[in-house]
Amino acid sequence: MKLEVQQRRAQREPEPGAARVIAPGLTFADITAQISSIVLTRPTPFVWWGAFAVGMGLLLMLVVAVTALMYRGVGLFGINIPVAWSFAITNFVWWIGIGHAGTLISAILLLLNQSWRNSINRFAEAMTLFAVACAGLFPILHLGRPWLAYWLFPYPNTMTVQPQFRSPLVWDVFAVSTYATVSLLFWYLGMIPDLATLRDRATNPMAFRIYGILALGWRGASRHWRWHETASKLLAGLATPLVLSVHTVVSFDFTISILPGWHSTIFPPYFVAGAIYSGFAMVLVLAIPLRSIYGLENLITERHLNNCAKLMLTTGLIVGYAYCIEPFTSWYSGDKFEMYVVHNRAMGPDAWTYWTVIACNVIIPQALWWKRNRIEPKRLFALAIVVLIGMWMERYMIIVTSLQRDFVPSIWWNFAATVTDNAVLYGSMGLFLTLFLLFVRFFPVISMFEVRELLPFSKPDGGSER
Amino acid sequence: MNRGLYGLAAEFDDAAQLVAAARAAREQGYHRMEAYSPYPISDLDEIIPSRNFLPAVVLIAGLLGTATAWVLQYGIAVWRYPLNVGGRPLNSWPSFIIIMFELTVLFASGAAFFGTLFFAGFPALYHPLFRVDRFRRVSQDGFFLCIEANDYRFDLRETAHFLRELGPRSLWEVDHD
Repeated sequence: MKLEVQQRRAQREPEPGAARVIAPGLTFADITAQISSIVLTRPTPFVWWGAFAVGMGLLLMLVVAVTALMYRGVGLFGINIPVAWSFAITNFVWWIGIGHAGTLISAILLLLNQSWRNSINRFAEAMTLFAVACAGLFPILHLGRPWLAYWLFPYPNTMTVQPQFRSPLVWDVFAVSTYATVSLLFWYLGMIPDLATLRDRATNPMAFRIYGILALGWRGASRHWRWHETASKLLAGLATPLVLSVHTVVSFDFTISILPGWHSTIFPPYFVAGAIYSGFAMVLVLAIPLRSIYGLENLITERHLNNCAKLMLTTGLIVGYAYCIEPFTSWYSGDKFEMYVVHNRAMGPDAWTYWTVIACNVIIPQALWWKRNRIEPKRLFALAIVVLIGMWMERYMIIVTSLQRDFVPSIWWNFAATVTDNAVLYGSMGLFLTLFLLFVRFFPVISMFEVRELLPFSKPDGGSER
Repeated sequence: MNRGLYGLAAEFDDAAQLVAAARAAREQGYHRMEAYSPYPISDLDEIIPSRNFLPAVVLIAGLLGTATAWVLQYGIAVWRYPLNVGGRPLNSWPSFIIIMFELTVLFASGAAFFGTLFFAGFPALYHPLFRVDRFRRVSQDGFFLCIEANDYRFDLRETAHFLRELGPRSLWEVDHD
């Protein structure tokens, strides 16, 4: 009991509540009990079942749509020449962009010693993983013959064909599969100590066995911690350029082509900023319900919401800057096709997408300059949803408006989405939701050992509370 | 089968006590010991040192990844399946850079992950300390120091006396199995 007394006594000079990374007065035991109880002891909340039903329903829709697509072919999408890319590639870019915030939080903020990230990195990494899983689905579905997707990899074969390494589409295969693998390894490595906690607290013999196997025999030895820390830092160092490269490579899918509106050097930074923008929006969309349903306000505090909102505002401004520069480069190029694309986006048949993008990504998020909108969960949630819609629409606008008006007016055509297009889009959200809910139910949603490190008495020399 | 004593484990109240105890044990000349804690404690790095080959392994694996990607692309694009695309050179190396980067990261990350498991000896689902019921606290709020019986300074009575002097919460003799 001495430990608890000492820990309680360590709560000196409380700072103002809003600025804290974690609420005052917590002990190691409190944190462990609070986070592990979500998995081990607390009854699954009613809201979880409701959301799970919705997720499974949408997932079922995805399964039906994909089955139909396999059976009938990609003609079920509303695509045709010249608009051969539409919803599927839009969804791909959108989902993979969402994943980027998770890696930013887990890798870049780790290297920058931003300890506030400790309580949100776990579920943000899970978000990355599931978003990449959703993203990976689309290029494959879009192939026409999805069952031959393995042809994308250079494997020894008797067909005398091999991938064309000068093509950005092949780069994308490597970038996305590397990103998925590295995200999985990073996520799992970080979770091993927490899986050991679940193993040690499990009362159900089945849970004990499963978490025991997943924890690989972790026992908190100082040497193991050292290797774990080294590996985490190294993986963070590797994931940092990786995350910037992934969306850069995705943008190469567009920029390497010569299509007006795509062939632009601004795309890589513009895409990366947009990716992080939508990713932080998704982090907030997940964090805000999560903390209120499971009562995690003491660990995911107003400071986290505020910081994520600030990052969203910053990246949103970068995206806004790119929107301003695009017409300028078109005009400055003097190329009439480039100038026509800008005109067509803002005034053509799909002008509503352009103005939705401007409203959702540039104008409405300016509300984040006011602190109330950054820390009031309901308002922030609404703003994050607006950004997610805006970012989806942005990718749709880039892809469709460029394709439907290219160099030769005789092949101009207007794209219209089909039922399958929509079923696959919403179905992928169902897949994401289902995976995320299962993660919340069966894995520690907040990194317990990293939150322990935030406690004031965690350091032997009694460091100060951050 | 009883392979005898694994070591003596002592539980301490907090990180400061654990570090102090480990330091005292080190000064007594104990080498084969290990501290267990619910989160990493950097002060233990010099008290319980270990060689860390991980960065070197990761570097080598990363370079191997770069080389693999280059050989793969050069081999396919130049030797095995040469294809003239718009008169570009067969070895159009600038477009090979991206996959070289990706495989560097992939190999290096794999080495970081599996290297950690290898150096830590994982998976190791059994360990003598798991026989101590109280040791479950180490993944929550327990701080343990274990001096292993195969240390040349180890003497059951003396070491137990030494550990007891450090004021642990409790002390266990841990058997192998």
